[in-house]
Amino acid sequence: MNDDYLWDKTGQPDPQIQQLEEILGTLRYQPRPLALPKKRNYFPLLAIAASLLLALLAGGIWLRIGSHTEAPPQQVRVEQPASKPIEAPKPVTSGSASNPPILARNRIHKPRSAPSALPKREREEALMAKEQLMLALRLTTEKLHLVHTRTQPNQIKNQHRVG
Amino acid sequence: MYATADMLLTSTPAHAAEQSQEPAIEVVLVRAVLQGDREGFSRLYDLYAPLVHGILLARVPRAEVDDLVQDIFLHAFKKLHTLRDEAAFGPWIAMIARNRAVDFHRRSKVTVEINDELRGSDQHDSRAAEILELIRSLPEAYRETLVLRLVEGMTGPEIAARTGLTAASVRVNLHRGMKLLRQQLGFMEGL
Repeated sequence: MNDDYLWDKTGQPDPQIQQLEEILGTLRYQPRPLALPKKRNYFPLLAIAASLLLALLAGGIWLRIGSHTEAPPQQVRVEQPASKPIEAPKPVTSGSASNPPILARNRIHKPRSAPSALPKREREEALMAKEQLMLALRLTTEKLHLVHTRTQPNQIKNQHRVG
Repeated sequence: MYATADMLLTSTPAHAAEQSQEPAIEVVLVRAVLQGDREGFSRLYDLYAPLVHGILLARVPRAEVDDLVQDIFLHAFKKLHTLRDEAAFGPWIAMIARNRAVDFHRRSKVTVEINDELRGSDQHDSRAAEILELIRSLPEAYRETLVLRLVEGMTGPEIAARTGLTAASVRVNLHRGMKLLRQQLGFMEGL
């Protein structure tokens, strides 16, 4: 047996190995193109995400600015008692006489709705509900008291005797 | 069993470099692929598809081999970043192929391979299928080396360089495997 031919196809060819090579060569690998998965293009997705983010940021900033709108300045006057007449303080700024002096200014974030702002009908309904609730509470209290007296009759008797 | 101890006798990179210049090509190609060069992987595929084909042919039905070769290279493409030593691409993909063959047998039910005889093809092909079956009946260490040598036409040094086995191991496997195959074929009476 020629080992060199089997090893690296050099030397005297071995006819038996050659015959095997010829027969088995029909099973040899036939080149086929490899279909690699397509590379994903993430640019459109990134662009959409960036646009959404920008829109959210812009919306957030707009809302924040809108909620901090400045309320009209309010004037506070300090009335001086009549017995102690004091000269009115002169404005520090060199403003004209037509502009009234501003002593305090408040920033109001959101004007709170006063209860009186409720419509009349809703207010009446609320009052009626309150009365009903109070009545129910009173009834409950009475019933509880009655239950208490019935479950502890001795104490009540004693109390009467003492009283 | 995923790999025999004999198969794991890997050669050192320096030894492999002495055997062939291919490891240097592998390293360049693997690095190129990791940097996004897809053509580099096609080159690796061209270089190593016969090796993977031979490894699978020694283990799984012929009808499944081509699809499995594609699957293995696609898997390798996705997992290439896990390869620590670029020079070890050959042993790495050979191990993937062996493991995939084991998985194939584990998952698939008992099937009867429709060979060329049943298909009614010519006598030459049916003889090839018979000899392949004989090779598959040999011990695992021999069958892979013999298929790579006799079917894929690779030389011993090429087999050693691409599988990561030592040249001595490949030579012994070839010699002993061929001896057993001759006995099976009855070469004394002629092929």
